[in-house]
Amino acid sequence: MVCNGHGPANSLRFYYPYLAPKASGNFCRHTTVDDFSAFFRLLFLTGGFLTLFISLQKESATEYVILIQAIVLGSCLLAMSMHFATVLVSLELVSLSGYVLAGFAFNKQSSEGSMKYFLMGTVATACLVYGVSLIYGISGTLYFSTTQFVDALIASSSALILIAAVLILAALLFKISAVPFHLWAPDVYQSSPTPVVAFLSVVPKLAGIALFIKIVLAFNLFGQAAIDWRMVIAAFSITSIVVGNLSALAQTNPKRMLAYSSIAQAGFLMAGVATLDLAGIRATLLYAAVFLLMNLLTFTALYFFEKWKPLPAMSDFAGLGRVAFIPSLALVIGLIALTGLPPTAGFTAKLLVFSSLWNAWADSGLTLILILFIVGLINTVIALYFYLKIPYYLFLKETPAGTASIKISITGNLLLLILVVVIIWLFLNPGLLMGWINRITFVL
Amino acid sequence: MPYLSLLIFVPVLAALIALVIPTRYTRAFPWLTLAATVLQLFIFIAMATHFNPADGLQLSEKKSWISVSLSNWGHLQADYFVAVDGLSFPLVGLSVVIMLIATISSWSVSKSRKGYFILLLILNAAIIGSFCALDFLLFYVFFEFMLLPMFFLIGIWGGPKREYASIKFFLYTLLGSIFILIVMVGLYLSVQPPESSNQVHTFNVLHMQNQENFIPGSVLDATGSGTWRLWAFAILFIGFAIKLPAVPFHTWLPDAHVEAPTAISVILAALLLKIGGYGILRFVYPVFPDGAVYFSDWVAGIGVVSIIYGALNALASKDLKRLIAYSSVSHMGFVLLGIASATTEGIAGAVYQMVSHGIISAMLFLIAGVLYDRTNDRLIENYSGLALPMKHYTAFVLIAFFASLGLPGFSGFIGEVLIFFGAFQSHTLNNLVPFWMPLVATLGLLLGAGYYLWTIQRMFFGPFAIKTMHTELNDLTPREYSMLLPLAILAFLFGILPQLLLNYINPFAENFIGLWFSLGLNANP
Repeated sequence: MVCNGHGPANSLRFYYPYLAPKASGNFCRHTTVDDFSAFFRLLFLTGGFLTLFISLQKESATEYVILIQAIVLGSCLLAMSMHFATVLVSLELVSLSGYVLAGFAFNKQSSEGSMKYFLMGTVATACLVYGVSLIYGISGTLYFSTTQFVDALIASSSALILIAAVLILAALLFKISAVPFHLWAPDVYQSSPTPVVAFLSVVPKLAGIALFIKIVLAFNLFGQAAIDWRMVIAAFSITSIVVGNLSALAQTNPKRMLAYSSIAQAGFLMAGVATLDLAGIRATLLYAAVFLLMNLLTFTALYFFEKWKPLPAMSDFAGLGRVAFIPSLALVIGLIALTGLPPTAGFTAKLLVFSSLWNAWADSGLTLILILFIVGLINTVIALYFYLKIPYYLFLKETPAGTASIKISITGNLLLLILVVVIIWLFLNPGLLMGWINRITFVL
Repeated sequence: MPYLSLLIFVPVLAALIALVIPTRYTRAFPWLTLAATVLQLFIFIAMATHFNPADGLQLSEKKSWISVSLSNWGHLQADYFVAVDGLSFPLVGLSVVIMLIATISSWSVSKSRKGYFILLLILNAAIIGSFCALDFLLFYVFFEFMLLPMFFLIGIWGGPKREYASIKFFLYTLLGSIFILIVMVGLYLSVQPPESSNQVHTFNVLHMQNQENFIPGSVLDATGSGTWRLWAFAILFIGFAIKLPAVPFHTWLPDAHVEAPTAISVILAALLLKIGGYGILRFVYPVFPDGAVYFSDWVAGIGVVSIIYGALNALASKDLKRLIAYSSVSHMGFVLLGIASATTEGIAGAVYQMVSHGIISAMLFLIAGVLYDRTNDRLIENYSGLALPMKHYTAFVLIAFFASLGLPGFSGFIGEVLIFFGAFQSHTLNNLVPFWMPLVATLGLLLGAGYYLWTIQRMFFGPFAIKTMHTELNDLTPREYSMLLPLAILAFLFGILPQLLLNYINPFAENFIGLWFSLGLNANP
């Protein structure tokens, strides 16, 4: 319990006695250590570790390592935060480091991507700050996980709450690259170095999801909110899934395709939250863990190909399945998992998300949830079409004459195989993760 | 003995062994696959001695697979639950025989043999698994497991337009399986095993078939208003109809068949299509008998349209393989007609027709493959008088064509006759299928005779002429004999001794209809 008396916390000192039970926080109750944050911190650390591991062979600059670690730190703090000031500071830590990392290839495209990311990110931060200031005006507190916060919002019943909530959520939707705040993603993904993309596509995104869950639950006001948040989240989820998948159909660059796929995946990550019940959020947590593994697997395999030769178009993968079998197999498994087909954990995760959606629909009768359920499933078929493009070129096309065999280090291949085995193992035995996720509880 | 698990996992084990054999031992892979399939045949024979048709589901094995607690709405419970009855037992037997023959047929594959045979073994396990699984999730996993190997088998080893065909196959079939998934999730959340608390849900198909196990007030509750149940029936039916395939969901089939290598065409026609019919008999009808009654004329109508439309397309086909593919559409239409009649004869006929079509269509595609191997040309108009240089081959062609068009003495006849018995009877017995539908369907038999006889006349009779001569037109090799002869014998045997199969099928059909009577759904509506 350290309270240094500086910054935003200072102005809030008077409210401390009225806040939630003392035991549940650190740093003046700005952060909390619970099962929820522990779960996400493990994901972030895994993501950071794997990214640094695949970047090893590159002569990585010190700054590179520090920036990755800064993002991991910021993400961990986000998952633990209970206070909007902490949210703001750690979100900026994640964002600013991300802007620099996106430009780490030090060429024109990379700088352009980084610039776009920065400009849009700044707007998102501005939205967040504005929203938080409105909320502070209404509730008189920045501790969003407290009863006082909720009571104040229920009591005021001001329309401003809605505006503030939308502003705050917009900033989070930007972080998880959900439609309509997704425009930065394709450019950044295409131009940044692949290990950076692998990292940016999972860790900040999942940090955004973690915070999204916390803040949506806070604004839900135990179901007493002025609007039904389930409808709002379901609407964003549907648009993300549809726009992401349909845009991905037309892409020829693999990383750009994966960027749009990642936008659609943001929709699936939000789908479970749209139920606003325990089972849906738990399904989302499983999806988050599986998403981390399958996205990292896909990007890592892609990176090994790119290290050998730049592959700007998917047609450049023609016939490479025969000269580099293990990375190709890993890529196929990763893409199949992203589609959500057995025998991968991607299937199990999607099954649980969709089960929770059906159940939420059966309980509430909200048609939008049923639409989300159906749209999500139909989109699996659309998604297969573009996810299948890379396997199609890898294995179905002839190897161009004179293609040399691709050399990939044993550790690289081993890493890919371990990830493949974990993804298949989690399909056969999801209880492994679910046992832990089931310990996580929420105040709904 | 866990016979079913052995049947499913012997090919998986063989695939793992093949994985570690270095690629350069190209001759090891077909032999290994052959050994696995022969072993499966022995296991099946041993299993047959323990199978008593009167006992219903038997040889069952059940192990908890996924057991995850999910808080407020319960417990996800999926089992590794396999068993066979009079419906699946003949189909498992068919799978074992066809996979053996497909392996022999694959001997001529020369391009990356290791990958080919590993995929073939995985496909083998998935097909047998689908026929045995009684847990919906397990079935679904096996069902999806077939897609990826098929995609690569068609896409890598197929004909000139293989890429297009393989993607079309994959997308269509995945669309079908998504439809199945929608209903599976709904059913799973609406059903609870008997004598359990409200929190436990089950994927067990047997529980889903018992209307008492539906949770009161759930979306698919059997006693509720029923609109959602009708939707669920339609969606699940379409999911399997894509696989069957029934018109208008059939367009993937001709492309996939024409481009696939011979062995894969054989498996596709003989086994994969059967999973569509099997799914309707195992999942759609028993779980949603109300929907089956409500939609019976639609189901029969789609069947009749498939029969006629498939036959007309076959008549117009210029490519021999395309002709056979459309004849499959036509013959699978009979299966739908038989199922829709919901009479003992109709159901038994539908199962009989599936087994018989599995044998005969395998023969037909092997025949097309024999010709294609020699000339690289499948256009009917480019051949004439083939009977002169290839006498033995022509004999087998005649057997296969006549068996397929329903000549008495071959298995196709028995299946179709039973289906017609059922369909005509339905008018008076339960009024599910209008009288004119089987009448129109008989036209399909005429058309069938038409396209087969016309093909024989064009290709095999008359003076010998061939457009492009690549190599000598040798008659059948011993390897080709070894594939065609057993199938011809089976088609003949099941044609003259129908009780060989009906002993297994009848108890199932009676049980199936008995379930309907017990629900009071079979009365005249």
